[in-house]
Amino acid sequence: MIGFIKKDLAMIKGNMKVLVILFIVYVAMGFASEMNISFILPFMSVMIMLSTFSYDDFNKWDAYAVTLPNGRKNSVRAKYLTTFLIVLVVTILVMFFETMISYVHNNTIDFENVLLTVPITMLSTLLVEVMMYPAIYKWGIEKARIGIFGVVFGIEIVGSLLIKLIDFSKIASAFSILENYGLLLFMIGTLLSLVISYKISLKIYQRKEF
Amino acid sequence: MENILEVNNLTKEYDRFSLKNVSFNLPKGMIMGFIGENGAGKTTTIKAILDIIQNYRGEIKIFGLNSHEDSAMIKEDIGVVLDDMFFPEILTPNDINFAMKNIYKNWDSSLFQHYLELFSLEPKKIIKNFSKGMRKKLEIATALSHHPKLLILDEPTSGLDPVVRAEVMDIFQEFIQNEECSILLSSHITTDLEHIADYITFINDGEIILSTTSDELFNQYGIVKCGKEAFQKLDTSDYVKYKKNKYEYDVLVRDKKAFQRKYHMNVIDKITLDDLMVLMIKGEK
Repeated sequence: MIGFIKKDLAMIKGNMKVLVILFIVYVAMGFASEMNISFILPFMSVMIMLSTFSYDDFNKWDAYAVTLPNGRKNSVRAKYLTTFLIVLVVTILVMFFETMISYVHNNTIDFENVLLTVPITMLSTLLVEVMMYPAIYKWGIEKARIGIFGVVFGIEIVGSLLIKLIDFSKIASAFSILENYGLLLFMIGTLLSLVISYKISLKIYQRKEF
Repeated sequence: MENILEVNNLTKEYDRFSLKNVSFNLPKGMIMGFIGENGAGKTTTIKAILDIIQNYRGEIKIFGLNSHEDSAMIKEDIGVVLDDMFFPEILTPNDINFAMKNIYKNWDSSLFQHYLELFSLEPKKIIKNFSKGMRKKLEIATALSHHPKLLILDEPTSGLDPVVRAEVMDIFQEFIQNEECSILLSSHITTDLEHIADYITFINDGEIILSTTSDELFNQYGIVKCGKEAFQKLDTSDYVKYKKNKYEYDVLVRDKKAFQRKYHMNVIDKITLDDLMVLMIKGEK
């Protein structure tokens, strides 16, 4: 499996120039306008990983990958671990620069804010990515991309309808639980989603013909 | 003779095409040329052997093991070149070496470097910037660099110039010298197969119509060129197929000597794989 991770990392290295330039631009914007740069995390992580899927698809890598020892299992496992690795690295970078921006502008480091927003963004990013992967393995990156936009659009519509229809004052107790244990619940939920997503992706890939 | 690859009654159905009871054996130390026109089922058969496609009927054994159940163990000893399926083009040969070290237990970096030098491939150049021929050479180098026992090659020499093709053919022949290794080689460049294949397996419309040793094929099969009058005297059971040309008939015979004895025709041409394919596919009976 390490070989498959190395292959994905080598692909990311191939795009490194563009990624570094983008990162520098956003960080510079953050320094210039005291902007919160947490949005870089989902944006860059998703972009990096989707580009690896696109290259794989374009060069029919998957058909070749399954001819390698344990190709089907290792290919999927490596994608999930690379995703985790990339999200972690980008998170560390974002935390560092977020702290620096805060220090430069206020002469103080707002650790509390950074430690709250960045992990939530990291978990959300992981959640979004792992939710996409089964669709990508099932339909390929191009078709899945359309599906993903559809799902996100659907969630937004359902969400906005719920906000209009639900009387939130009646479920205030649920909010107090979220306030106390929200991050923990979110973390458990994300990890659970990750495991379920991996199992589904693996099942799809094990049966897939190329 | 021990078989390294056994395909028995392989059947796979699609909407408009199917493999029908495909069976053949590849013994150790041999090269098998796998021929057939486009869409005949060569790549589908190879994909089934490599587990790229599943849900087929029949049995495939590699090194005596079930190709699906013992897939991981088997694949350690198989080298593969597939038509247009490889590492993403953003990578370099060095990246392939970097990844393959942890994919194959027997990956040999120095052997890979040796092939890169032999084929004049720049280790730091991205695949995207290689010509089609250079990509093929890289695929061949990658297939050979973990000391496989079986090479499964789908059009490995397409896009290569005659000089490099000859070089590659020499490498393939050297590969089987220890008599433990074998090659299944699908190619449209039939002259290459005539030079190096010990066996020829011919697939047409999803069915194996011939699988025999090259010696038997080239010694026994032949082409009789004759006029209409002579052709009309032939018994249909004495030839395989015929093709009517403008001035003469090309008749494919399975047993040159028996045919010569019966019809006293002294000139029976040697067969080429191209002749065989054209007559078998386009010929009439």
